[in-house]
Amino acid sequence: MRGVSCLFAGAWLVAAQAIAADVEAGRAKAEVCVACHGLNGNAVLPGVPSLAAQPAMHTFLQLVQFREKRRRDPQMSPFAEKLTDRDMQDIGAYFAAQKAAPSSFVVDANKAAIGRKLLEAHHCGSCHMPDLSGQNQIPRLAGQNVEYLVKQMRGLKDGSRRDIDGTMASAAQALSVQDIDNLAHYLASVK
Amino acid sequence: MRSFFTRSTVSKVAGWIALAAAVLATVNPVSAQQPAASVVQAAPAPQVQPAQQPLAPPPPPSWQQGRPESMKSSTLAPNPPGLTAKPASEMKLDKIKLLPGFSIELWAQGLPNARSIAVGAKGTVFVGTRLIENVYAVVEKDGKREVKTILKGLYRPNGLVFHNGALYVAELSRILRYDNIEDNLDNPPKPVIVFDALPKDEPHGWKYMTLGPDGWLYFNIGAPCNACVPPDTHAAIVRVDPKNGVMETVAKGVRNSVGMAFHPNTKELWFTNHGRDWLGEDMPNDTLHRVSKKGVHFGYPYCHQGDFVDPELGKGRSCAEFTPPALKLGPHIAPLGMRFYTGKMFPAEFRNRIIIANHGSWNRTNKIGFNLMQVTLDAQGKPVKYEPFAEGWVDGNNYWGRPVDVQVMNDGALLVSDDVAGALYRISYKK
Ligand code: HEC
Ligand code: HEC
Repeated sequence: MRGVSCLFAGAWLVAAQAIAADVEAGRAKAEVCVACHGLNGNAVLPGVPSLAAQPAMHTFLQLVQFREKRRRDPQMSPFAEKLTDRDMQDIGAYFAAQKAAPSSFVVDANKAAIGRKLLEAHHCGSCHMPDLSGQNQIPRLAGQNVEYLVKQMRGLKDGSRRDIDGTMASAAQALSVQDIDNLAHYLASVK
Repeated sequence: MRSFFTRSTVSKVAGWIALAAAVLATVNPVSAQQPAASVVQAAPAPQVQPAQQPLAPPPPPSWQQGRPESMKSSTLAPNPPGLTAKPASEMKLDKIKLLPGFSIELWAQGLPNARSIAVGAKGTVFVGTRLIENVYAVVEKDGKREVKTILKGLYRPNGLVFHNGALYVAELSRILRYDNIEDNLDNPPKPVIVFDALPKDEPHGWKYMTLGPDGWLYFNIGAPCNACVPPDTHAAIVRVDPKNGVMETVAKGVRNSVGMAFHPNTKELWFTNHGRDWLGEDMPNDTLHRVSKKGVHFGYPYCHQGDFVDPELGKGRSCAEFTPPALKLGPHIAPLGMRFYTGKMFPAEFRNRIIIANHGSWNRTNKIGFNLMQVTLDAQGKPVKYEPFAEGWVDGNNYWGRPVDVQVMNDGALLVSDDVAGALYRISYKK
């Protein structure tokens, strides 16, 4: 069936699905979010994730997960309840267009060095991209809040944060509590 | 030729059945007396499910197994899932290329993550989902079509069969039955648990289910990984007798099948199968299989596509040990639902052709698949032609939809489900 591949071969384009979303509309809809997620989505509160420069698809899909109660958080869930698909697409596009502020995280150099090695050994960058900027449904990890990262990795491992399709849960199974701490230190420090 | 069913295999399979039977005995699943739990209670709460231990030891991360050193930093990753329903304006049906005389229309929308299709005796179209907890029903009333979410809170309810007035739903690890469903769409009965001793592995854990001419339910238990030597219970097609919960292995060495159907004349089971990832852009092929004998082994993980020995796991093995596929379908195209065309609407030459829905590739730089293909068989049941039936869900590397399942309707038209658009299409023919 050699012919099959020729038949459908197309020009190489970015793999992102085009979402007809509106950055300006997203800015207005995201005004209520800034209180927790920070100016332009650069969060400063511990445990709250930055949304700046996140792939639009990731923000969109996580908001759907919160709205449909497949992901839950007492602070976050109420804010996703009333959003429409369109709102979520616009908000995703808005945060994707914001610049991530350089990380100001004070690193434990020892932990970060171990974390970096772990990241390479586990090839996290193949999905999350080598610069950890994420792609499509896969989140940006660079410079993310350290408490948030620890909570998510633990939750993905023990199932208290249910991921969408089992991909990341399976990637988290091999990580020990110590690994998670070291990884978070490294990830939070990446500029 | 080495017989696959060695003594140890048989005893292990028997052990597995015994184990399943033991679990069955304790829950007495087919007894109507048993107070069947409500859907909400019966379905494991989403938060709890992944913590339950699978029968098999937890595999290393499934995406990583078998990835060669040379591809370790490849940034190819699974495609984003579809969790919402797109508006009609984002479905480019005018871009779908069909054969002369055929046309496609949007038949139903508003079904997020629409997957497998089953049709009830009274014409209700049931649609399962994989990543959200719903089962939908589409009904026509007073000339209007209505989509209802009839079941909620299920875990990966991808497999659906309609039989004797009941809807059977295959979740990740169990099979439920909803009696007299078509008369109770607005208030479905509590389910009867038909079988709940299936493995709980997430990778390739969701089921495609079909009804055999023998009244048994046939479905997949996929390999819990990309490429690994699976436990004896996995990488198989199995069947369960819904009357008593007896389970048997039908075919082995099947990495994962998410589409199967019985030939209308020969009554043999045919199924689609996904080849492994990370062996390059064009290898191996996904495949179409014919089960001529119960218990045949199709090669996974040792031999792929009937003629390609796995570079790692196949050491010391030969493809001659296994039954080859009926047809190679193309690399990474992800064939899902398949049906024999048994309707009368399409031209006569379509009779008993296989139509396959290809979900489309991710483990490959240029996307392929995202289409419907058709297979013509000769009088001996040998595939003699493999050609496009409908294409145009992908443009370059951007896709707007992904075909999942196909179903021949009573009027002979073909329904197609799409889990990214969250919709059903109808393909019809007019001279
Ligand atoms: C009261 C504080 C608060 C407000 C207001 C808030 N959030 Fe959140 N948000 C959180 C917290 C805390 C989390 C982390 C939840 C967890 O730990 O799982 C979160 C998580 C998220 C995530 C997941 C990020 C990821 O990478 O997975 C997204 C997306 C998000 N919020 C978007 C929004 C949007 C959009 C709004 C406004 C409509 C908003 N949030 C308003 C506190 C808030
Ligand atoms: C096969 C692809 C893949 C690999 C490899 C992978 N991830 Fe992920 N990761 C994902 C996806 C997809 C998500 C989104 C989870 C969901 O579905 O909700 C995610 C989510 C996450 C999150 C949650 C972040 C947030 O903003 O919510 C963290 C933290 C994370 N990954 C860390 C890692 C680390 C550390 C590694 C390496 C040990 C890794 N990932 C490897 C695909 C991957």
